[in-house]
Amino acid sequence: MRRPSKTCQVCESGVRVLDYKDERTLGRFLTERGKILPSRLSGMCARHQRQLSTAIKRARQLALLPYIKGYTG
Amino acid sequence: MTRRYETVYIFDSALEEPAITEKLQRFHGLLVTEGAAAAPTFNHWGKRTLAYPVKKKETGYYVVAQFETAPDRLPEFERAVKLDESVLRFLVIAAEGEQPQPPRVSTPAPDDEPIAMIEEDA
Repeated sequence: MRRPSKTCQVCESGVRVLDYKDERTLGRFLTERGKILPSRLSGMCARHQRQLSTAIKRARQLALLPYIKGYTG
Repeated sequence: MTRRYETVYIFDSALEEPAITEKLQRFHGLLVTEGAAAAPTFNHWGKRTLAYPVKKKETGYYVVAQFETAPDRLPEFERAVKLDESVLRFLVIAAEGEQPQPPRVSTPAPDDEPIAMIEEDA
């Protein structure tokens, strides 16, 4: 059984290039612990998934997004 | 040949704004090149809470700078920024090709179908 194919949310919203400075949008594609959501779950197209992973990694370097969510000491 | 770059600085939030402006002037003075079309633009985000402590600081003052310069100017610039203790962190990226537009506007508000979250072991 194939699941119905999901469409890429980013394409649908009309955004062509993801911005690493926009941590609100990027934050939607993280798991509870702050891992990058796989495209299997996010339904992203390959192009945007690649952009997303670069953008999240940049945002992490700039302390806009955490490497691990909810980790204390 | 000049190229377009973008730099995000995180300054120590204890610093006053005039001091930050002065430092930015100094850093970008190192990048002045002939043939650069536009003067650098600065976008001060101001004081923000960091997602995790950097150099034992919980907050930082963010500035985004866009500029055009010759690539061979960058090593000297980066060295100067690295030596400055009041810069907690910075990131230089080449801002070429298609750029995200309009900046700082997120995609349409929370969608109808929330993204499935996977369960993770802590």
